[in-house]
Amino acid sequence: MSEQVRPDEAAQALAQIRQQQQRVIDLAMLPTWYWWIVAALVVGLSATVDAARQRPVVIALAAVAFALAIAGLTIRVVLGAWRRAQWRNQLLGSRGVLLILGFVWLVVGTTLGIAFALEAVGVRQSATLASLVGAAVMIAGGPVLTRILRRLMLDNQARGR
Amino acid sequence: MAAARFDELIHAPTRLAIVALLATSEWAEFKFIRDSVGLSDSALSKQLTTLERAGYLDIRKDFVGKRPRTSARLSKAGRAAFERHVAALQEVLAGSGASLLPQ
Repeated sequence: MSEQVRPDEAAQALAQIRQQQQRVIDLAMLPTWYWWIVAALVVGLSATVDAARQRPVVIALAAVAFALAIAGLTIRVVLGAWRRAQWRNQLLGSRGVLLILGFVWLVVGTTLGIAFALEAVGVRQSATLASLVGAAVMIAGGPVLTRILRRLMLDNQARGR
Repeated sequence: MAAARFDELIHAPTRLAIVALLATSEWAEFKFIRDSVGLSDSALSKQLTTLERAGYLDIRKDFVGKRPRTSARLSKAGRAAFERHVAALQEVLAGSGASLLPQ
């Protein structure tokens, strides 16, 4: 039967397969606005820390509100897509997991490193200033990470993982 | 890569779209499949039943709150058949000197 399929028909079928697979993989991708909201929440928490240094209760409440907001947002975005189609975990692979962890460490490391450095030289708004840099890394790097992960998942799918 | 074997059941355009979608998923919701492949509810049900009878699909029905939800996934046999079918399509292309991987 395959002998009866013309090369152009085969190419069309493979293109259709690729298009459908992209639909599922696109579901797994975080939208750009997600990074903006997370960045705003990080800056908000840091500004609260700087403004309420002598009031640990306020900082604790802000930290809890921050954690709840991040968790709620992430669950809403990821589970919303997950309910529609559960992409195969193998598509992300260990390389994808390492990329995500590396990005988290880049953002956290950059933010903490700058914050401690500013604190050491006596800058009063050290947390806020450092978080602004961390937020910029997140806003610029988040969509790049998303594009790399998408490419990786498509490659893994093509390799039959 | 899987051994190439053309599968007439999978090759029909609507079923190819359904199977390709499910090949990237563990489970996919009926509505997501319907919207992705552009079929009516009844047309999709018919195609899913055909694939299920061939042993290529598992269908799951459950409830989200009080709302019924139908999901589908490729069975082991269905996934193997799809991989063989993709290999067959690639062989046709390779034989013609062209190349297009389903990335």
